[in-house]
Amino acid sequence: MATRRTQVTNRNSEIRIPRFDAYERVMHWMAALSFFYATLTGLALWSPKLYWMATMMGGGYHIRGSHPWVGVVFAVVMGVMARRWANGMRLDADDRIWLTRMHKYATHDHAALPPSGRFNAGQKMLFWAQLATTLALFVSGFVLWFPEWMPRSLRLISIAAHPLAAIGSITSILVHVYMGTAAVPHSMRAMLRGYVLPEWARFHHPKWYKAWRASHHV
Amino acid sequence: MIVAKLIDTTLCIGCKACEVACQEWNDQEYTMGTFDGSYQTKPELEANFWNLIKFNEFEKDGATSWLMSKYQCMHCADAGCLAACPAPGAIVPLANGTIDFVHENCIGCGYCITGCPFDVPRLNATTKKAYKCTLCSDRTAVGLEPACIKTCPTNCLNFGERDELLHLAETRAGELKADGFADAGVYNPQGVGGTNVLYVLKHASEPEKYGLPKDPVIPWTVSLWKGPMKWMGTLMFWGTVFGAFFHFVIYGPQDPEKHGHPEDPSDKS
Repeated sequence: MATRRTQVTNRNSEIRIPRFDAYERVMHWMAALSFFYATLTGLALWSPKLYWMATMMGGGYHIRGSHPWVGVVFAVVMGVMARRWANGMRLDADDRIWLTRMHKYATHDHAALPPSGRFNAGQKMLFWAQLATTLALFVSGFVLWFPEWMPRSLRLISIAAHPLAAIGSITSILVHVYMGTAAVPHSMRAMLRGYVLPEWARFHHPKWYKAWRASHHV
Repeated sequence: MIVAKLIDTTLCIGCKACEVACQEWNDQEYTMGTFDGSYQTKPELEANFWNLIKFNEFEKDGATSWLMSKYQCMHCADAGCLAACPAPGAIVPLANGTIDFVHENCIGCGYCITGCPFDVPRLNATTKKAYKCTLCSDRTAVGLEPACIKTCPTNCLNFGERDELLHLAETRAGELKADGFADAGVYNPQGVGGTNVLYVLKHASEPEKYGLPKDPVIPWTVSLWKGPMKWMGTLMFWGTVFGAFFHFVIYGPQDPEKHGHPEDPSDKS
């Protein structure tokens, strides 16, 4: 394993393919950090069993004040990210086939999958799922933020909709974290340093890699 | 011993002495409101006003009368505020049936307002914590009756052991029926497991006329969150965590060397 790692790292080490520019990286990590904070404080209020997290984060009274504000930061950053990425997240014909063969992806049968572009269909679905849950969390969260000013009917919906959307959001982010760390080696570098190596790009995002090669006459 | 308040609405003369007693005992500043043409002190309960006599106008056979009701926390056996509260120790059910707010632990989220089917708790804009009637827990703890009961001049208000008061309420309702009020009865809504504030009403089948909800229950969205959704969330969380872990254990990471290429192999750079 150690040998292979060295190989992938060193081979073509002169060629670095830019994957995420600084703007995208900053946005992604701002979203990640605010999400992390909102998740911990949110879980503290989700169940009394997890209330110790509130103590850890500065106490219940404090997080009741901060959770909504951090939520707003997250929602705004998600909006900015969506502006940058939404166009590239549209599913193409290959992606649709990819989605029907997701189990092939999970079992590493990559030969059975249609080639992916800059983002594969799984990443695209994560993006849309996150966008949907963020919208739901933002709207319901806004209602819960100001209980004195909101009609009771909206508060009643939000009190269930907010945790429901959070379950969907947290679960999909857990998958995202697994994919970005253990499951796909070297993908973390793309989001931290901004570049990937040709071998990685060719394997994970062949259509994107091809386009890069064409534009750089490699 | 479960204690209760009994409010015989037919004996209320609208003197509002109980409102004053409540403000006095709990040392609440009175906030001036707006006059909206009613004898009522305020249109609604407030964070520093926990006991409101409602002057409900009632019309029958062309004649208008008042259906008095004393509005405050109902101290439900199955309390919606408590069900919705995310802060442990902020809402405490006492052994005597009182639902007490412990402000030290209150985080001011206002979920109790949403959970309460009677719309009783209120947020204080300054302290950003929720307030309501305490059933004078600081008085009952030392064997005194609540301030409102103490001050009531007509015996409209009674305080004591719940079972005895319930019996008294039924007796009183029976008397009213004998007097020709066929619809008389006791307001002790079972949707919240019964309340520790009981009413004798002349029109028991129409509690809305008194400003009281007909069938109060803990909102189903709160029950959904505190019940099935908790299970579902826990299952999904650990399912995903273990799923990811065992996926890694079984299949390992994606490896370009081992797992081939979706692309034409002749395209290798």
